[in-house]
Amino acid sequence: MFARIWGTRGSYPVARADVLRYGGNTTCVEVRAANHCIILDAGTGMRLLGEALLREPGAPRQLDLLITHTHWDHIIGFPFFAPIYAAGWRLNIYGLSRTRASLRATIANALGDPLFPVGLEDLRAELHFHEIQVGSAFELGPLRVRTAQANHPYRALAYRLESDSDVLVFVPDTGPFHTVLFGDERIEWTGAPGAGNGAEARALAEMRAQVIELAQGADWLLYDAQFTEQEYVRFPHWGHGTADQAREIAEAAGVRELLLFHHDPRRSDAELDAIVAAQRAAARPGLLVSAASEGRLLLKGGT
Amino acid sequence: MKAQFWGVRGYVPTPGAAFLRYGGNTCCVSLRGAGGELLALDSGTGFCQLGVALMADDFQAGRGELTLLITHTYWDHFLGLPFPGIVHIPGNQLRIYGPDSARGPLEMIYDNMLAPVYSPVFGLAHIAATHSFHPISSEPFQVGQLTVRGMPLSRRAQSPIWAYRVEEAGRALVYITDARYTDDAIWREAVHFARDAEVLIHSAPYLRGEAVRDYGHSRVEDAIELALEAGVRRLYLYHHAPTRTDDDLDALVARCRGELAADGQRLDLDAAREGEIVEV
Ligand SMILES: [Zn+2]
Ligand SMILES: [Zn+2]
Ligand SMILES: [Zn+2]
Repeated sequence: MFARIWGTRGSYPVARADVLRYGGNTTCVEVRAANHCIILDAGTGMRLLGEALLREPGAPRQLDLLITHTHWDHIIGFPFFAPIYAAGWRLNIYGLSRTRASLRATIANALGDPLFPVGLEDLRAELHFHEIQVGSAFELGPLRVRTAQANHPYRALAYRLESDSDVLVFVPDTGPFHTVLFGDERIEWTGAPGAGNGAEARALAEMRAQVIELAQGADWLLYDAQFTEQEYVRFPHWGHGTADQAREIAEAAGVRELLLFHHDPRRSDAELDAIVAAQRAAARPGLLVSAASEGRLLLKGGT
Repeated sequence: MKAQFWGVRGYVPTPGAAFLRYGGNTCCVSLRGAGGELLALDSGTGFCQLGVALMADDFQAGRGELTLLITHTYWDHFLGLPFPGIVHIPGNQLRIYGPDSARGPLEMIYDNMLAPVYSPVFGLAHIAATHSFHPISSEPFQVGQLTVRGMPLSRRAQSPIWAYRVEEAGRALVYITDARYTDDAIWREAVHFARDAEVLIHSAPYLRGEAVRDYGHSRVEDAIELALEAGVRRLYLYHHAPTRTDDDLDALVARCRGELAADGQRLDLDAAREGEIVEV
């Protein structure tokens, strides 16, 4: 298995001189195993992946897209993914099953008028939608896929992709597991610390345990580290975490390399360098720490 | 009146080294009147950068006032709106003008965009700054000493597109993007609307003859012809295609200027550049 990072940014894409190294496109990661291509999230990085696939001789024409959740930053690359306008491509799209609207309707409503000029009926690729659950486990070619719930507004999935030799775990959006328990309802943040009542605290502890279980022994853990400590205490209700919190999960799960992910749009390359340096200094021996950078290839023995 | 470009790219933001000089953020232009009036045209991701800049101002203290003129609600013109910190500070006031759609009024479109399935905001009711929505019509209105006029460019009921003209003391800036000059009547109206403008900002993603997936956009040549016919002084090509690198845009500008000079035309032409300030 190998993977390539096409988008690292959270919230919205940014084009600036001070984000050139880590990148300004929103979340998208390509995973390859045998001749299978699995795409994690459809942020603006997906546009670049689409161009690369069209250039690649013999690229797989059946693709699996695993969506963590449909917040804008995770789907806005989809209509700029050129293969969907070409015949002969097939896309299996996986995402969380919701009660209010189907995954297909959620994507269709985002793309259609009055927000975007493309209807699903305008696409020439074959699209198949698969609604999955927290805890779903299935196989995609040679890869075993498993999901857990991330602590994020309106719920989001985290994915584990495992081959016989490698494990990649993708948790782009999650808050920590000690202050706010997110679900399908909006959290009214009053500024009071603590995880509310005992039931909430137990649910958070359980969710944390499931995420650590999902990340167990991962070669690469891509994990939400959008906020600094100061930002987190002001905005705990947005459902994102800090680099310290990411490292704590990586250490508990015995991960080989932690890649800080879902960078805040305002964070410069230099600031990310400093965050990485601080995490490396604090990390338990044996844990590699980096910040995900656009274009990076993840290949064991090759990094 | 001072205009500043915050996002000049069309369709989708283009981060990367090849796009730094002209910029990769999507559509947004701010306007500052002599009396301090603050307007913004469109809220693509450039609006997020404008928001960061405004945080140093009254907006930090919750005393900011902004009039936002939306041409249409496609992502590259609208999706940046909920992100900047200024819209999450109580006390700030946003007056948002734009077209209603057959799908529903602008306010409802925005509320749907913020639905929990798409946004952690969970709906317009939870945006802290005061937002008021005003359907745009052909009736001119005032923002301080500035006069704002709208003109419908496309009457597609699902996604209508409007153009704006802002005047101060007899000098006008005209903003036309995603135009579709599908018939002579629309063309004549646009010429009339842009008449004698000091500055015309016009979408120009592609040249005639460029083979691209066509969303029905007007071409570079349309923008130039419109500027010439309307007697515009300065034309800014805008809404650059995501494939156009800085070098491509340099070449495009050189080519257009060359053709204008060979024609003996006095039109001042440039490609809009993120960060650039334009005195109108
Ligand atoms: Zn996100
Ligand atoms: Zn999210
Ligand atoms: Zn546009």
